[in-house]
Amino acid sequence: MLLTGLTAPPKTHIVEIRGMEFHPAVLTVAVGDSIVWINRDIVPHTATAGGATNWDTGQLVQGQMGRYVARRASVARYVCTFHPTMHGKVIIH
Amino acid sequence: MLAIAVTLAITAVLQAQSPVSAPAPDLSDPEVAHVAVTANNIDIDMAKLVPTHTRNAAVRQFATTMITDHTAVNAQAAALTTRLGVTPKDNAVSQSLQSDAAQARSSLEPLHGRAFDRGYIDREVAYHQAVLDAIDKLLIPTTENAELRKLLVAVRPAVAAHLEHAKHVRRQLGAPARTGK
Repeated sequence: MLLTGLTAPPKTHIVEIRGMEFHPAVLTVAVGDSIVWINRDIVPHTATAGGATNWDTGQLVQGQMGRYVARRASVARYVCTFHPTMHGKVIIH
Repeated sequence: MLAIAVTLAITAVLQAQSPVSAPAPDLSDPEVAHVAVTANNIDIDMAKLVPTHTRNAAVRQFATTMITDHTAVNAQAAALTTRLGVTPKDNAVSQSLQSDAAQARSSLEPLHGRAFDRGYIDREVAYHQAVLDAIDKLLIPTTENAELRKLLVAVRPAVAAHLEHAKHVRRQLGAPARTGK
């Protein structure tokens, strides 16, 4: 069959930051997919992960977006560095 | 209008009318806007004390966030009032907030290091709790303009997050080995 061996094209997943929370708070993606955080709040936020994944969108003001491309399988927990009560998780497989 | 920090002043106003009968103070929309901006400015000014009074990283980071967030909310409030043609109007609640803030500032200014950390964070916990109460019981119910009310509603989660952040820092300060300036 012609499709044999083809992999699914990478997807873009959106995480909205609103009401001082990440929506969705837990996201499952595939290696190669992109995750885009959009800040809908009045106050600035970040989406920042340490450890092996180690990404940081930097400061996102209202309406601004930050992107991360998932490079390898892992489970990444991330926070907003300005607001320690905000947590999210990305499962990359 | 974020951290509408209606401090003890607003708490006092709210408590004074608690038993059923007394209605909330009747603030006009320009007065609500003034209270909001005042509350934000008070918390910004208090946070500006921090860099010269402590080296505690958690306290300094909290203060930086207060300045950033309250400044962002005030910018939004200013844009909204300009668009609506509303001029914020001074009022008794704003004046009480300013008076209370002046007292708090004089108590904190002579302190440094751990004593400052404790005093500042305790006040931030009380302040943000009072602000939340004020948003819920005074400002949102009083506001007539839908867009101004929407802004207050949008700001509320940030105030709640600031309160939890302040409580988190206060728990950290409880650790015996932590040092300040």
